[in-house]
Amino acid sequence: MTEIRTLIVDDSSVMRKIVERALRQAGLDPLVVYEAGNGSDGLEVLKTKQVELILSDINMPSMDGLEFLRQIRAQNLAPGVPVVMITTESSEEHVKEAILAGAQGYIRKPFTAEQVKERVLSLLHAV
Amino acid sequence: MLLNGVRKAAIATAGASGEREMERTMAVSLRESVQLVSDPRNLDASVEEVFELMLGLACRRNPRPAVVEPESVTAVVGFGGLLSGACLFKSSSLTAIKIAARMTGMEFDEVDDTVKDGIGEICNMLAGAWKGKVPNLAANCGLSIPAVITGRDYNLHVQAPEFKLIHHYSFDESSFEVTIICDGLQ
Repeated sequence: MTEIRTLIVDDSSVMRKIVERALRQAGLDPLVVYEAGNGSDGLEVLKTKQVELILSDINMPSMDGLEFLRQIRAQNLAPGVPVVMITTESSEEHVKEAILAGAQGYIRKPFTAEQVKERVLSLLHAV
Repeated sequence: MLLNGVRKAAIATAGASGEREMERTMAVSLRESVQLVSDPRNLDASVEEVFELMLGLACRRNPRPAVVEPESVTAVVGFGGLLSGACLFKSSSLTAIKIAARMTGMEFDEVDDTVKDGIGEICNMLAGAWKGKVPNLAANCGLSIPAVITGRDYNLHVQAPEFKLIHHYSFDESSFEVTIICDGLQ
């Protein structure tokens, strides 16, 4: 299997580790993970690294996940790369807002490794 | 003091979606459904969901608080928008360490930044799961970034809250407390 380079954006380092573990449990191997604590740092990573997958929280300091998504599209960073939002915000309105901003997937916290596997693998297979 | 800061952050989050969001918020009212919002079963279901899915732990609710230990960890997530208030998670340092170890698969000797981060995330997920149980609240109530306090020498005072839920839970031989305080409903 080819290497899956993944950017995980979350202000919680614990949550970044949990997401990484879920990706490994989903069978994404070999997996290369880049981490960022907010949207601004995530954009900086995307300016220097190529990735195949982006997972981002929404509620973060400095630059939130929705603005991060908009900036990815506006600056044409990571074209065609699927973005999955992983967040506690789960209302239909929040999902619509994320989709409009350019997200391809949405996972609500708390989540199971199985849910991450289902969403992520279907997106990677679709690319 | 702390609660005010957290609440302001949550209000800012709730207001960040612009005028359209504001119009929708103004059109909805939670006042008539205060019984639904304050239903204690919503909090129990949220705790069960977060601990089962994220930690693989079954929690049981206890009628009384456990013995208070000298050191404690408290995480606070503020609500802003249609409902204002906060969700608090409080446990002993030992329980906080056990939870963080379970989340990360790491071992901890003390309440370090990773443990605080983990407990903040638990509180964040509890707040999100709880507000998600009421449809109007899910869409029209923002959450603040978690704040974590260590030590016991503090008081939380809210003048005339709309409602307050304080529930005690345990898993294995560890216990913790989850509080929902609502001081404003639109």
